[in-house]
Amino acid sequence: MTFERLLDDLIRDTVHVSLPAFIAELIVCATIVILLLGRLFGTDRIVTPRWVAIVGATLAFAASIGQFGEVFASGRSPIEHTALFTGLLIHDPLTVYMRILLCGFLVLMTWLTAVSGIPDREDGPDFHTLLFGSTLGALLMAQSNNLLMLFLAVEMTSVPGYVLVGFQKGRRQSGEAALKYLVYGAGAAGVLLYGTSLVAGTLGTASLAEIAMRMPSVVGINAGPLASPAERTIVLGSLFIFAGLAFKLALVPFHFWCPDAFEGASAEIAGFLSVAPKAAAFALLVRVVQSLFGADSGPIEDLRHAFGIGLAVVSALTMTLGNLAAFGQSNVKRLFAYSTIAHAGYLLMGVAAWMVAGGEAGLRGLEGLFYYLAVYVFMNLGAFAIIAIIRNATFSEEIDDYAGLWARMPIVCGGMAVCCLSLIGIWPAGGFIGKFMVFAASLSAGWVSPVMWALVAAAAINTVWSLFYYARVLRAMYLESPTDSDRLEEIEASPFANALVLALTIPVLLLGVFVEPLSRVTAFVARSIVG
Amino acid sequence: MTTFLFWLFALAACGGALAVVIEKNVVRMAFWLIVSLASVAGLFFLLGADFVGATQLLIYVGGTIVLLIFGVMLTATGPLSRTMTVTRGEHVLAGVIGVSLLCVFGVSVLAVDWEEVEGGELGVEERYADGGTTRPLGLKLIGIDGEKLRSEVGGRRSEASLDARLSTRKSTGYLLPFEIASVHLLVVLIGAAYLARAKRRPHERNRH
Repeated sequence: MTFERLLDDLIRDTVHVSLPAFIAELIVCATIVILLLGRLFGTDRIVTPRWVAIVGATLAFAASIGQFGEVFASGRSPIEHTALFTGLLIHDPLTVYMRILLCGFLVLMTWLTAVSGIPDREDGPDFHTLLFGSTLGALLMAQSNNLLMLFLAVEMTSVPGYVLVGFQKGRRQSGEAALKYLVYGAGAAGVLLYGTSLVAGTLGTASLAEIAMRMPSVVGINAGPLASPAERTIVLGSLFIFAGLAFKLALVPFHFWCPDAFEGASAEIAGFLSVAPKAAAFALLVRVVQSLFGADSGPIEDLRHAFGIGLAVVSALTMTLGNLAAFGQSNVKRLFAYSTIAHAGYLLMGVAAWMVAGGEAGLRGLEGLFYYLAVYVFMNLGAFAIIAIIRNATFSEEIDDYAGLWARMPIVCGGMAVCCLSLIGIWPAGGFIGKFMVFAASLSAGWVSPVMWALVAAAAINTVWSLFYYARVLRAMYLESPTDSDRLEEIEASPFANALVLALTIPVLLLGVFVEPLSRVTAFVARSIVG
Repeated sequence: MTTFLFWLFALAACGGALAVVIEKNVVRMAFWLIVSLASVAGLFFLLGADFVGATQLLIYVGGTIVLLIFGVMLTATGPLSRTMTVTRGEHVLAGVIGVSLLCVFGVSVLAVDWEEVEGGELGVEERYADGGTTRPLGLKLIGIDGEKLRSEVGGRRSEASLDARLSTRKSTGYLLPFEIASVHLLVVLIGAAYLARAKRRPHERNRH
């Protein structure tokens, strides 16, 4: 009868606590099944897959918005962290925040694919199944509370991504890009798995919450840094986990796949890969850091400090290399691929500042990171969406072919201008606020370690430098006259495309002007991680 | 009976392994590998490790070997290329690696005091001798730690305190990864099928 009691407890917990909190993910799963059943029963002739996808994404977004009120408006300052599914996932403000970002992103993404028509009617179910599958993985990444779920979620995000990169079958470039991405990804997955097994094996648990509790019993027992074998194993395992996540973030020693994959994939997929897996990987990175180095003990804080300095160096390298390489590109997709790499560097500054400074000052780094991520969703997807829209009109992704486009597509070009300004970080675009918050946090972390000041200096130089290559795109659009003006005569953007561009760029401007509402939310999210 | 089965499986495992080395045709090698690996699974069953045995059958015999044969089928261009040619250098290299591995295994086997193992704590656990390894694993899947449950029930506590203890202690269950992996596999299967199948568009057909 105790066994029955246990089962009853489990069922009650799952049905009344876990599943309601998991509703957005369940809608995503259901959409996948409906998409596939639609083809089986032939209903995809009546209701096109793209509509099923848009409705599914919107429902998931609505469900996640519903949780926003429950978490943020309740007034309880740090809500208790609810562990879901016997502790495998965690439901806290960060989960809800990332869920809203990712589900909102999915809505915009399905809208974009409907506008640009990259999956035709025949391939629609496959394309949207992969898209939703990958997003489901990203959602799980942002809320995983267990090393097993961490690995599974990273794989769930990556594997459909490999197929999406190679989605345009028959294009040699696309297949090559997919294969490159797959090989690098498989290697990174192996490293990540090895790291998790080292950490789990040393500490005897895979749960992130328990890892945080057991770390003090392993680290700093013996005098001197890295004295005990267990401590060395933990550090090695953490390094491997960071390397696996760095691959997903395309940070510098692990960035090689990014430009090739983005150039080979269609612009829509490049936009997807540059936002959803990265945002989720940043959330996961924060969770892993908090679990491994969150404990209140001297030796662990030293370790966190050391890892923070390491991340600062990686961040400086990433933004420098991304910006330098972007300068020489003539293909717009490749240019924005390098710009994406550079931005991973800026975003990483927030994490590094948090780890180095710690405490109240460090929280501002996290705040900046989350604010920047929200802006990043709109500005980066906006840039890639505009590339896709222009590609549909001109059949070109070269900067030179953008010459004189503004006369034909004023709204689209205006959107590109906003996105570029935001990516550079010029007020009133939202990118300025994100960058400002991250820079300020790093500056105050400089009082702990001067390396952070060097990082801020490097980031400032990079920001100025990035002005040049973003300006090249804008100069082509606005100032240069087209080489053959006859070709431009037929070009125009559809009203749906214009509406999408507006939907993507207006939030970028709003986030730059009205900082207060979102920054309050991100401050709350940041506090809930630590507190 | 057990001794007879042990010798049967052990001989089949070693014989199969030898045959893999001696055989020159890749497809036949795959067959001998099946014999060898299946016999190892039989040895696991004899030890009472039925879960490991079943996994061995499913993954190695069912999965890996089939993959190997598919690989041979898809890459071999003619019947002749299915025999492997091995150069002298490879013989030497393989010999060195094999002998050193044999030394490592030999040393570690000889280092164990077998008398102690049979009588002492390291011996086969009695409770798994009848092959009950799947039940704890199944219980763990839904988050119930069978070991703790057993010790607590065995301790003859009063039921109220037992209930209190069980409700406070949370054990991690693994149903969610199990379920979510099925969604993942579905998605990936669709992806693989998409990449593998030919485009079926009418206008494409006309173009060719």
